[in-house]
Amino acid sequence: MRALLVLTAAAAAAAPLAAQQDTRAQVQAMQYAPLRFQPPSPKRLSVAGVPVFLLADRALPTLSIQIRSKRGVAHLPDSLWGVGWQADNLLRTGGTTRLAPDSVDRLIEFYALQVNIFTDNDESGASVGGLARYRDQMLDLLFDMLKNPRNDSSRVRITAAQQEETWRRRNDQPGNVLGRAWAQVLRGDHPLGRSIVMPEEIAGFTPARFRWVQERIFCPQNLVIGVSGDYDERALLAKLESLFRGWTACAPGLREIPPVAFPQGPKLVYVEKDVNQTSIRMGHAGSIKVANTPDYFAAQVADFILGGSGFTSRMLSRVRSDSGFAYSAFTQWGSETDREDLFFAQAQIRAEKTVAGLKLMQEVIASMAKDPPTAQDVKLAQDNEINSFVFRFESASQIVGQQLGYALDGLPANWFDLYLRGIQAVTPAQVRDVTAKYLHADKLVTVIVGKSSGFDKPLAEIGEVTVLPVDGIKR
Amino acid sequence: VAPAQQPAPTPGEKLPVVEHVLPNGMTFLLLRREGAPTVSFVTHYRAGGVDEWTGISGTAHLFEHMLFKGSTSVGTKDLAAERALFPVIDAVADSVTEEFRRGALTDSGRLQRLRDRLKQLEDSARQFVVSNELDRILTENGAVGLNASTSSDVTNYFFSLPANRAQLWFVLESDRLKHPVMREFYSEREVVMEERRLRVETQPLGLLYEEFLQAAFRAHPYGRPVVGIASEIQAVSRNNALEYFRRYYGPNNAVVAIVGDIQVDTMKAWATRYFGDIPAGAEHKPVVTQEPPQRGERRIQVEFDANPSVLIGHHVPGAQHPDAPALAVLSQLMTGGRTSRLFQRLVIRDRVAAAINASQQPGQLYPRLMVFNGVPIAPNTTADIEKAVYEELDRIQREPPTEAELQKVRNQVEAAGIQRLTSNLGLAFQLSSSGALWHDWKQTFRDQAAQGRVTAADVQRVAKLYFTPSNRTVGTLVRPPKPQPTPTGTN
Repeated sequence: MRALLVLTAAAAAAAPLAAQQDTRAQVQAMQYAPLRFQPPSPKRLSVAGVPVFLLADRALPTLSIQIRSKRGVAHLPDSLWGVGWQADNLLRTGGTTRLAPDSVDRLIEFYALQVNIFTDNDESGASVGGLARYRDQMLDLLFDMLKNPRNDSSRVRITAAQQEETWRRRNDQPGNVLGRAWAQVLRGDHPLGRSIVMPEEIAGFTPARFRWVQERIFCPQNLVIGVSGDYDERALLAKLESLFRGWTACAPGLREIPPVAFPQGPKLVYVEKDVNQTSIRMGHAGSIKVANTPDYFAAQVADFILGGSGFTSRMLSRVRSDSGFAYSAFTQWGSETDREDLFFAQAQIRAEKTVAGLKLMQEVIASMAKDPPTAQDVKLAQDNEINSFVFRFESASQIVGQQLGYALDGLPANWFDLYLRGIQAVTPAQVRDVTAKYLHADKLVTVIVGKSSGFDKPLAEIGEVTVLPVDGIKR
Repeated sequence: VAPAQQPAPTPGEKLPVVEHVLPNGMTFLLLRREGAPTVSFVTHYRAGGVDEWTGISGTAHLFEHMLFKGSTSVGTKDLAAERALFPVIDAVADSVTEEFRRGALTDSGRLQRLRDRLKQLEDSARQFVVSNELDRILTENGAVGLNASTSSDVTNYFFSLPANRAQLWFVLESDRLKHPVMREFYSEREVVMEERRLRVETQPLGLLYEEFLQAAFRAHPYGRPVVGIASEIQAVSRNNALEYFRRYYGPNNAVVAIVGDIQVDTMKAWATRYFGDIPAGAEHKPVVTQEPPQRGERRIQVEFDANPSVLIGHHVPGAQHPDAPALAVLSQLMTGGRTSRLFQRLVIRDRVAAAINASQQPGQLYPRLMVFNGVPIAPNTTADIEKAVYEELDRIQREPPTEAELQKVRNQVEAAGIQRLTSNLGLAFQLSSSGALWHDWKQTFRDQAAQGRVTAADVQRVAKLYFTPSNRTVGTLVRPPKPQPTPTGTN
């Protein structure tokens, strides 16, 4: 892809060291030479009908292969969600029809390869990295694992036992309880709200069911591939051609992800856990999709200002720096290309400041309407995006990975250019409008995990409380 | 006697790192690399949790937070007004501490009034503060990864900048080192308390680890939590933090690594220009306390409403001891990957554990622990994990690792060595850390290479020497006993 040539202040030598003591003035007077940088563009090809992105980088004798699938666990029938969630684990540990599980492990560790396979809700992927001299071993092994999974029954039993233990430990940490309670309250039993496999699903683990899932997620029509590092292109392409030969086409049986019906706030849900710090998450439907639209870019800037940018954000400044209530506080205004996601704010606040902290978080969200972002606030977000753009192109594997993501999401190859231009065009009025339209501090759904007897005030002061017993969190 | 043959330099040792030491002792390790125009800065100070004195645990870490609060010019609207309030605030903070330290006799009403007053005063000082200005300047200039961390041995500060803005690091970093201001100190102390609750008090494994270290180290400060003991964090004063700074943050205790798209000569000139006028500080001296040999197994239990886990620790030497490479290889053979001995037995063969890991904790400078961390799968217990760990440690003394096992470790060492060269920040971390800990940026590369020369006999020897029951500390996480129903109708 092509990115911008930036775009900074006029060229000048380093500023003279005029006022040593006044560092702020010195920083303000500094001028920087323009950053001349043309990020390398991966070559896009097609092998056996599968899009392949190549980017050579011979600085080190290493090679990285990334495979991404546009299908994930949420595309499976509901009854196979648990199998899908562990299908990655079995691809990695269950062996292949040619190699026993132990042989796969031995090869990976002997050649010191980094193998990673994941099945997520929206999409899935697999990657291998290692020394370039093991190119054929890497490719042979990764393709064998994806094309011919054995799902050895001994490894299925191990996975089942481990998932049972994960289930047993599901309430041990407050963060896990908060995440699961939040998912249940906001998404019900929708597959996008699931993150733990239930015992009845574990009982349904069989090699055949894993195979059913794997061959529908990892099959040629779903895939894009990226290779970066030290390779000979001709030999690599010939190898890829041979590896795709005989890979069965995708079988039917998957579905589109069903829409989520997010609940309407205000709503207050309390989960009791005996800890001296309260975990709080509050939010509602985000109502924004990733797209080349003014609303999307304005929402990105709004989130930066509100809680997405760490110490410069309102949320962390107020809840941490000014009040000392929490170590961590942030917001996330989620969005996808094909669907809306959630907006939420989160913090862990000491028990005896729970209600004060919760009110403060609400107040900070409301401040976006009451005290709308200034031109200076917006400029900070824009400057940060523009000046940090180079960090998106630090390595060949990172650049290739980005292109794979754009290809899967249906975004154009020059999406990052469009993104930067979109962010640069945002005005304070647009940020004000987008927050007024989509963020509603009076309609938040709030989930609280902690011990109410240690709170500063009764939660009822904030609104009607629904108690969710920790064992009432289904997943 | 023939001179010992020096091993060939590793690829890491051959990196064209330029070492530039200022007259005040501050060390800069400069490495120009091809690639995107970015530059990473990592500074390690020889200042860690072990360097704290009695009663101020957590100060090294709290000071690390404070260094983000700015300087005499960054972060303030009116320095004189701010400073005028500091003695008033400190006096109230001292009163809070006095009341707090009365323990059982503390007047909780008075304590609360004093705390409210302290908060009120800091809030009034905040009118003169430009909140998080240092962060704002860096954010505006496209910095990424701005952070810091404190360990038992050292403290580090790091971020990356677009290469054309490298000078900004020199301006800001020298400013906060020369003119730090401990503004918003007492509210930041509260933030650190929340960090402690987040990482330790609400986390079963965090709590277990803290108490386990305290049990294993009775004399050496490796037993003290870096985040601090709760009561001591609440008593640390602004002056304590400044005193810690004065003792340990001399430029001669700092090693900076700058890696990326840089002009080495320009970096050298800026290093002199911005840091050259800082007077050298006291030389960092190693901790005098040594942990006496352990004479008998120690066992602790930590009660928490969570499922069981176990930590098994044996005292082993620090990272520069001649046995360190063999211990690192032993750790890999035991738990490094799915083909390792303990993983094969506990996770794959017997299905007793969901996870088993080994690492050497909590630092590198001083004698430490090799810690095995096991998570049982019910109905198996932590005792089952212990049994397997001891049997495998015993077995390796009888059955040496095979050549294939050792070759696997050598391959992993080689690949990891090359992998470490892939990112500016990762490389800067290694150079700066090695320079601070060992006064030699090449040492970490040599240590990694030394692991490749470990023999089966070396592994067996260290297994026999260190993994004895009397040298062991075991910590287990257990559920608290359920309260017994109160008998009724009796006295």
